[in-house]
Amino acid sequence: MTTQRFARALPDIFQYVFLGIAAFLSIFPFIWMLIGATNKNNDIIQGRLSIGSSLQDNIASFLTKVDLPLVMWNSIKIAIIGTAITMLVSSLAGYGFEMFRSKWRERIYSAILLTLMVPFAALMIPLFKMMGWGGLINTHTAVILPGIASAFIIFYFRQASKAFPTELRDAAKMDGLKEWQIFFYIYVPVMRSTYAAAFVIVFMLNWNNYLWPLIVLQSNETKTITLVISSLASSYTPNFGEVMIGVILATLPTLFVFFVMQRQFVQGMLGSVK
Amino acid sequence: MADVRLTDIRKRFGALEIIKGVDLSIKTGEFVVFVGPSGCGKSTLLRMIAGLEDITSGELTIGGAVMNDVDPSKRGIAMVFQSYALYPHMTVRENMGFALKFAGMERQEIDRRVNDAARILELGPLMDRKPKALSGGQRQRVAIGRAIVRNPDVFLFDEPLSNLDAELRVHMRVEIAKLHKALKSTVIYVTHDQVEAMTLADKIVVLRAGIVEQVGAPLDLYDDPANTFVAGFIGSPRMNFLKARVVAAEAGYVTVALANQPHVKLSLPLRSSTAKAGDEVSLGVRPEHFFPAGQGDADLVLDVDVAEHLGNTSYVYANVSADERIIVEHEEFRGARNRDRLTVGLSTAKSFLFDSSGMRIR
Repeated sequence: MTTQRFARALPDIFQYVFLGIAAFLSIFPFIWMLIGATNKNNDIIQGRLSIGSSLQDNIASFLTKVDLPLVMWNSIKIAIIGTAITMLVSSLAGYGFEMFRSKWRERIYSAILLTLMVPFAALMIPLFKMMGWGGLINTHTAVILPGIASAFIIFYFRQASKAFPTELRDAAKMDGLKEWQIFFYIYVPVMRSTYAAAFVIVFMLNWNNYLWPLIVLQSNETKTITLVISSLASSYTPNFGEVMIGVILATLPTLFVFFVMQRQFVQGMLGSVK
Repeated sequence: MADVRLTDIRKRFGALEIIKGVDLSIKTGEFVVFVGPSGCGKSTLLRMIAGLEDITSGELTIGGAVMNDVDPSKRGIAMVFQSYALYPHMTVRENMGFALKFAGMERQEIDRRVNDAARILELGPLMDRKPKALSGGQRQRVAIGRAIVRNPDVFLFDEPLSNLDAELRVHMRVEIAKLHKALKSTVIYVTHDQVEAMTLADKIVVLRAGIVEQVGAPLDLYDDPANTFVAGFIGSPRMNFLKARVVAAEAGYVTVALANQPHVKLSLPLRSSTAKAGDEVSLGVRPEHFFPAGQGDADLVLDVDVAEHLGNTSYVYANVSADERIIVEHEEFRGARNRDRLTVGLSTAKSFLFDSSGMRIR
């Protein structure tokens, strides 16, 4: 009897063990980050996993080295403006690709999707040259511009637009709306969960963007939080306590955005149009 | 004046012609129903009238004005869609008033029109709900209300009842008929449901493959179909077509014998005198136009396949021969059992005759 019950429970046991390991691997870096922020540099290096008493010291030390309001402002500015423009441009493109019939439509769309296969490393130098010609090196515009027509987000919006009822567009035309009005007055509100999901994704991509800002942002006044953390970690004698404080501060806005939009994010990922 | 006139209207998608030259005249206040099987172009034709599809060639006039290139919102029309097409982020009130607000109408006038429509359609308690909180029938009423508030010259309905269950469909059908009587507007209504067409229409337009097969009042189409397509499409269950051959042709009269039961002969008056002896023809008999044996002009022997007895009437699915199956309907066939042999009467007066191309000759 007991053996039978055990045999029946075995798949569940495996499932929980597997999920437990996966959860641990996901959460451990966060826990380590939080514990690290309370410990001295040496303790962190030695792998201490208990809470220490150096939190205030680490914060003070971090704030003396980093102009926190400035770097946070830089990051928030780039993330918000970049996300807003990316969403507008890419959702317009996704809407257009789905709504307008043309014999060139699928060819152009395929060409855009093909750009997903090109690694960013191959684009860095031409992009840098372009920004140089435009006099945009060391400006936030240079960080934002290359990402606004995101092939992935265009793809995402086109796929989501397939669930947008075409009769709503027809009804809006009968009500006298022009195409751009249909987009802003009908499509955007109806697809709000899709926008919420896209917002979370694009915001995180912009916020965590490291390589491209590292190339185009050269003065301390323009640097973002990711660049500052990197420079703290790569100094001659890094203080990992400060680094942990920086990482926690860098994580907070993305967590905030995710939790605020969690419900809409899940609906958007499921493709809900209600 | 809201008469609608279509003159040689055509629609092409690339090389494919969907609407192949439609001529139609709809009078002010008329309730016209477009019927036809899936893919016949009835919805495309409606969308062309609405302005949602371009007209490749031909001329559309509404109230005497050419509308080919006029914006949908400026044609004096309102449309009710199959899926209702209510804006999900707006309340019922906002949905109904949206077009008016967008046209720059004053707030008081919008409220007056919306409230009037809500009263007519009994939407009062639902006005502040979003569409997702409404049932199918309520959504349909809101969709109609949204059309009413615009006070259009012409209402367009695109299969408006096809998403409703059977009971609600009957209810809404009656509501639409009452509404038309009250508003006296011109209505163009698309459906594939011939019961809707027969009960609602002043005039039915039967379409097949982008061509108008016949236009007429519902009972005229039932009594006087122009060809086998219309004869088969109007009437439920559909008309039976029995293979037959002309055995004698005289002035104005023809005698036909059934191909599968040659002893069954009927003499029928002709519409046109083109038929001659030996021609293959189809004898059209509606299921409800069979009679008990001996009560018609000739008797036909059938092998019953399935008999359905509904109380008020009976449907008998039977074989004339191995490859010819028909349906007969009569209250007196309630004794018929599966695999029985049944003799039924055929009446000359209730039979139609079609030539080999499907055109009616009697």
